[in-house]
Amino acid sequence: MSDKQYSVKDYYCKHTTRCSSETIKDSKRFVGQDILKADAEDKVTGKAVYANDITFDDMLYLKVKRAVHPHAILKDIDTSKAKKVKGVVDIFTAEDIPDLRKFGLIIRDQPVLVALGKTMRYLGDALAVVAAESIEAAKKAVDLIEVKIEELEVITDPFRAMEADAVNIHPDGNILITHNLETGDVEAGFAESDIIVERKYQTQFIDQLPMQNEAGTAFYDERKGRVNIWAATQWLHDIQADVAQSLRLAKDQIRIIQPTIGGAFGKKEDVSVHIHLAIAAMRTGRPVKLTFSREESMITQSKRHPITIINKTGVSSDGYLKAWQTKFIGDTGAYASSGPAVVHKGMYHATGPYNVENIKGISHAVYTNNTYAGAMRGFGTTQGAFAYESQMDIMAHELKMDPAEFRQKNIYQLGSCTPNGQRLNHSVNAEETIKKVMELSGWKGGK
Amino acid sequence: MQIKFKVNGEAREIEVTPFHRLLDLLREDLGLTGVKEGCGKGECGACSVIMNGRLIPSCLVPAPQADGAEIITIEGLAEGNSLHPLQEAFIETGAVQCGFCIPGMIMAGKNLLDENPSPNEKEVRTALSGNICRCTGYTKIIEAVMLAADKMDSKGSGSDE
Amino acid sequence: MKQENKQTISGRDFEKYFQVKNLKKALEIKAKYEDQILLIAGATDVLVENYEKLHEIKNWLDLSRVKELKFLEVKEDKLILGPLMTHYELKNSQRLKQKLPLLAKAAAAVGSPQIRAKGTIGGNICTSSPAGDTLSALLALDASFKLQSKIDSRLVKAEDFFLAPKRNGLKDNELLTQIEIPLYPEESLSFWAKIGRRKALVISTLNLALVLYFEQGLIKRAGVAVGSAAPTPIRLREVEELMLGKSLAELNYRELGEEVKKRVSPIDDIRGTKEYRENVVRDTMVNALKSIEKRREGGKNAD
Repeated sequence: MSDKQYSVKDYYCKHTTRCSSETIKDSKRFVGQDILKADAEDKVTGKAVYANDITFDDMLYLKVKRAVHPHAILKDIDTSKAKKVKGVVDIFTAEDIPDLRKFGLIIRDQPVLVALGKTMRYLGDALAVVAAESIEAAKKAVDLIEVKIEELEVITDPFRAMEADAVNIHPDGNILITHNLETGDVEAGFAESDIIVERKYQTQFIDQLPMQNEAGTAFYDERKGRVNIWAATQWLHDIQADVAQSLRLAKDQIRIIQPTIGGAFGKKEDVSVHIHLAIAAMRTGRPVKLTFSREESMITQSKRHPITIINKTGVSSDGYLKAWQTKFIGDTGAYASSGPAVVHKGMYHATGPYNVENIKGISHAVYTNNTYAGAMRGFGTTQGAFAYESQMDIMAHELKMDPAEFRQKNIYQLGSCTPNGQRLNHSVNAEETIKKVMELSGWKGGK
Repeated sequence: MQIKFKVNGEAREIEVTPFHRLLDLLREDLGLTGVKEGCGKGECGACSVIMNGRLIPSCLVPAPQADGAEIITIEGLAEGNSLHPLQEAFIETGAVQCGFCIPGMIMAGKNLLDENPSPNEKEVRTALSGNICRCTGYTKIIEAVMLAADKMDSKGSGSDE
Repeated sequence: MKQENKQTISGRDFEKYFQVKNLKKALEIKAKYEDQILLIAGATDVLVENYEKLHEIKNWLDLSRVKELKFLEVKEDKLILGPLMTHYELKNSQRLKQKLPLLAKAAAAVGSPQIRAKGTIGGNICTSSPAGDTLSALLALDASFKLQSKIDSRLVKAEDFFLAPKRNGLKDNELLTQIEIPLYPEESLSFWAKIGRRKALVISTLNLALVLYFEQGLIKRAGVAVGSAAPTPIRLREVEELMLGKSLAELNYRELGEEVKKRVSPIDDIRGTKEYRENVVRDTMVNALKSIEKRREGGKNAD
């Protein structure tokens, strides 16, 4: 293999926007060409450095004591036995850092550490953090932390959460946010429909499951008064700001350095190891590392929302959609994360790529004691797609019409308008796509 | 307890405990961080290395079991600046995305090609069945192993270590 | 930034790690420590079970170096196996594939290439999971296990060995030292299937082993066993008896499927529901018989 072929200098330009002025002159250099990835060589040789690969001399290992119950008030936490474990350097709880602020991507509703008298809302909530000379000592100490709690009703179903007598998971109630969508006159649309179909769809929690678990390393540069954090994140600057406000520091006191990311798919949008690392680094004055196990990652970090979708649709006997009414109930779990944006985004896409003049929708993102749901590939629209495409098949069946033909009758064309009023002015190839799929699959029709 | 073993051709002697896994030994003690931990339970294949000629999950090997073993990790494939044909093929086919599964995938590919220099697609799929990738959808990874087999074949026998 | 040996070895909580080289020594240690010692061979089950808790294990007995427990031999009318044989070795053994293809097939379905290279058949037996892939095959093949202590040894039939989920008849001072499987002169055909959500790295939702021995077209012996359909892997002797002395043409496959279904007691779990397992075990039995019929007609042993 020649040096030229894999010169980083050659390929760096192809993968960054820095050289864009140069590349515009010769767009065919890349369009239709095989492009080698700039960082592939580091990755195939094992040299690429991911967060968990960074180590320092004199480094401490962190382990988090997580909630012992999905919904309970923390009455007492005793770290005295844990502190006696050989190799334990520091254990901190909320009581040790009294002016911590909550964090969160959109709404800051998540505590860094659950304080005495406050509520743990899911099994991922942090109660204490141990810093120790070895990971074994840290694990052992975590097991020796004693916790007393007062149990509250555990709510795992958003429909239960919305009932009047359900206990409030957050002070303002269990419905985090409600959105409405209305265009045209849905009642008039149903009135002129020949067939009306109403169905309920349910999707489930899905873990994004990137190959790399959450991990990070940090150290506190006392001279500059700055915490350096090496941890994978999808929102470098938002996380920097969130960590800083949570610790009541200025943004320039938090420096986040992005190592290679071992996949994310939305899961690494949220704060994970960052704040605990920063606190531990500042308290101990030593470099610190925190790596989640797969279980911890699954219990603690975000998921794709389970959404209950109720679609009621009206269609004329010749196969044209007349009205579409929809309801999205998203289980956003214990904290908001991206939930306020995900669930209603799903609803805005409730009709898929199909023309409907009369639409009415409502969405609720609802708190429960499940692991919080956030961003994952598609951001709410994948759940909606399952529901609207199923609905289209059921309607085609009711109409005794080929589902491909039914879709073609209603598919977006140039000039179509989305439910929230966006006029589609270019690149609408939905019908061509259907035709191509029919051709490639050898579609023979069906009813 | 003290163990002796060979990693990537180099003899090592090191103090270990049974609660350290071969994975910890390689990553933490020897700094071979190309070996990745994705699950710690033998489900994902990211920590795969070749031990005594077999592909094994290094997360499921108590460190003392490595005593006397010969181990090859991703770091041991390239010779100087010259990449192993598998590494070249993974780059050329675009099989690498986030890269976290890649060291394990390449070791699984190597283990296959060591035993079977000209596998068919089904054999490649079986050989890689213990390795999970969440980015690529596998197609290009399978292509990469097939391409590497071609590359190694055209170099003639004896080109492999 | 990378430094060797930086993670301080803390605590040294473990007391003893015995890496014995011969069986005699292993049996002495087992006699002394009884249930206060953790046995490992391939370690693929033990390290998963004790993930993040390895530092809590006090005493280890590592059998992986006991060469006398790793063998595969044909002795007179028996095939005998050392418990340290890995699934990889069983899957690739020409002799096993020729003599007992059922077991080779089951071994090939365990875990993944990585797990098969490390995991042993002895480990699969001693973990005694209701889902253990090789266990239904061993039951159908009428295997026996030699359980040895420092003082004596005994032979236990596979069907008497498994007591409850992950519980078996091994005493605290005993080790599994040999697996014996009878070989019969008659022509035999077998079937093994694993139902799971993926092809690799999946715990069986269900597995079924069937072996039939024919003499002049009639079934002289039969072995039927299922995994993941009861608290232990189970052999279905009553179903076997329904087939004896008959030709394949005389069997009602569907009824035999129903007989299998009647005798399993699966549970609902994350891998499948009770109802699903009951129906699938019936259909798998039918498929097993059809598959054997097809191969008998084709006159081939290959599946």
